[in-house]
Amino acid sequence: MAVATEEFAHISRPLAPNVLAFGASTAPLTVNIQPQAIFSILDHAVRRDIRDTQSARVIGALVGVRSEDGSEVEVRSTFAIPHTENEDQVEVDVEYQKNMLALTLRGSSSAGAHATSSHRECLLGWYTTSHELNSFSALIQNFFASPETGTFPHPAVHLTISTTTLEAPIQTRTYVSAPVAAAPESCLFVEVPHRLLAADPADRAALESIASAGETESRSAPLASDIESLARAMETVSGLLERVSGYVGEVLDEERDGNHALGQHLMNALSLAPKVDSVAIEHDFNNHIQDVLMVSYLANTIRTQIDLAQRLGTATLIGFDGEKKEEGEGGDRKDGRKDGGGRGGKRGGRGGRGGGQQREPREPRENGE
Amino acid sequence: MSIERPKLLFVDGTFAELAQAMADIVQVGEQVKPLLEKEQNEEALQIIVKASSHLNTVPEKEFNPSYNLLIHLVLESKDPKKYLPIICSNLLKPITSSPINYINLASNALTTIFNNLAPDNPLRYNVFMQICRFLKQNNHYEGLRPMLKNLPKWLKEWDTDEEDARKLWVEVAEIASEGGDGEESYYSLIQALHTFDREDQEEITSQEAQQLSLRALRMALLSDKTFLFQDLRALPTVQALSDSHPVYAQLLDIFTEQDLEDYSDFKEEHEGFVEKEKLDDSKLERKMRLLTFASLAASTPNREIPYANIARALQIPVEQVEMWSIDVIRAKLVEGRLSQKDKVFKVHRTTYRVFAEKQWRELGTRVDQYKTVVDNLLAVIRRQQAERDVNDD
Repeated sequence: MAVATEEFAHISRPLAPNVLAFGASTAPLTVNIQPQAIFSILDHAVRRDIRDTQSARVIGALVGVRSEDGSEVEVRSTFAIPHTENEDQVEVDVEYQKNMLALTLRGSSSAGAHATSSHRECLLGWYTTSHELNSFSALIQNFFASPETGTFPHPAVHLTISTTTLEAPIQTRTYVSAPVAAAPESCLFVEVPHRLLAADPADRAALESIASAGETESRSAPLASDIESLARAMETVSGLLERVSGYVGEVLDEERDGNHALGQHLMNALSLAPKVDSVAIEHDFNNHIQDVLMVSYLANTIRTQIDLAQRLGTATLIGFDGEKKEEGEGGDRKDGRKDGGGRGGKRGGRGGRGGGQQREPREPRENGE
Repeated sequence: MSIERPKLLFVDGTFAELAQAMADIVQVGEQVKPLLEKEQNEEALQIIVKASSHLNTVPEKEFNPSYNLLIHLVLESKDPKKYLPIICSNLLKPITSSPINYINLASNALTTIFNNLAPDNPLRYNVFMQICRFLKQNNHYEGLRPMLKNLPKWLKEWDTDEEDARKLWVEVAEIASEGGDGEESYYSLIQALHTFDREDQEEITSQEAQQLSLRALRMALLSDKTFLFQDLRALPTVQALSDSHPVYAQLLDIFTEQDLEDYSDFKEEHEGFVEKEKLDDSKLERKMRLLTFASLAASTPNREIPYANIARALQIPVEQVEMWSIDVIRAKLVEGRLSQKDKVFKVHRTTYRVFAEKQWRELGTRVDQYKTVVDNLLAVIRRQQAERDVNDD
């Protein structure tokens, strides 16, 4: 899910002001963003309080790790910061931010106690849920980049993400900032490349099922079983192959010029595809299914067996008790056992733990009566 | 799908205040003051920009902030086009105050100009050219490389005409080759060749087209990584070479689809050509052997090539067959296994030097075959699911 093309040039990042030039690195910066950070931002945007804040956007802090040379940062989590904004002033709850940051960092450092110091999480910058940059953005950016309260000497990263438009895909942009001479409150935003870290297949499957919930009326989706998701994946593959086949067909019919590199690539990919006769595949698959069924059958049998054994175990106890102590009441025995069996099954667990049921036959007898 | 770019520069203050501050930095404050008082902003800015070469001597930590202010002023003015060339050319000059970091300082200022122009502003092209020139001057290809992937899109956005686009691609090709990235350089040259109008006979036979085509051809021949010449040969400008440079065209044909034997014949026929044109014969011959191997593998139906056949086709002793097999695998032309016991090379996969209709047809069958397999599998799964559901009920 790397960002394919950018609309800006980025060669080196600005020199941090007042840093001895010798040690400061100006290698280009790349921002990596974990998907869960995006989720928490979206969550924040959705739950924002629209009653008394006039601003449509919300802001929060980005927390994550920075590579040793500072040329890459990875945003791992975020937290919201309350702020109010109107025509001519902006207020950010600085105290809240400070405490929240301390808590977040403490949480992460105790969770990953083995992590080395270079991998410790720290404040990276801030996010907002609108692409608009304005002079308040400049103010907040300077706050986050300042030595006392921010990320200095590292640049503060500003992430903007569009959450208001429903039609357009959600877009993200990242910036760092540079100062402008002669105006202390000024700020130049420098866009830097970023990418959303590719989710691993498990994440993707989870995302897909979440996304599928959005399409139904009830806004809920059942968790697909393994076999169901396999079938779905194969449907997708089949659809993709259909497209490829269409493309090749068009090339053959001279409707379009074929890209040789593409053809070559497809050929290579397909030469890796197993050439198994479909009957054989079906056979293998059935075999495997049978194996699976066998295992599940055995597992079920064993479960039943255990269940049965438990019931029978306590039932015999009751039965023996009955035979010993209630010898005369042969006629009632059948009923008593039936009754006791039901309760005995419940009791079997406790009996196993206690293990002293045989020595204390009084309890079941009392029950039996 | 792109949303409007947000404004990037935020500076507090009126134009006059900021211009005065800027003028003080470049030491023309006295001159500018009366003009600003009379609100002759453009004139004032002109003086400031003219004096802006002074910025190359300010302390390095003030360099970028000062330039940012200057860029802000220029972009606020009525006609930024007038001032930007001066600023850019100043940035290309050495920065005396920062002998170590000057590349970063200047490229920061240049990218700031670039980024603050709207994405579809044609001026971006000029600024990008300056960036290229600057990076070339300082041998900083690494700075350019990450941006190259954006270039095709950018050129479209700027609505650049063919000639300018070509100039840019050639420039990029040069920087890349100086930076040691042969592949990128070759790719850029091909892009440059694509800019010639394929309908315009005059254009594709022009001196410039010939030169560029020849350069791309030579680069492809001598490169360690380029083995497929089909796309190159398909370019109209390269095809035009068959009239102007028939020997080269013949050589290209050989490399596109013929064998080592044809190359040997070629060398006999045009004795001294390879040496005269400073083409490295050992390199060419080696490449030809690898290509011959690929052809051999592609034309062997049972996918097993005896050592003796390889040795014959490649004109090498049988002992060297295994070495060459390894080389051809490393060049990613063929995949396969050597069977030392049976003295055969078992082909798993080959690269087709010419991807023609026959190959497309085969590809089509393979895709369809694979699709059938997948569909069958899917049917099996669905059937099993249905059965299970029935059982569950």
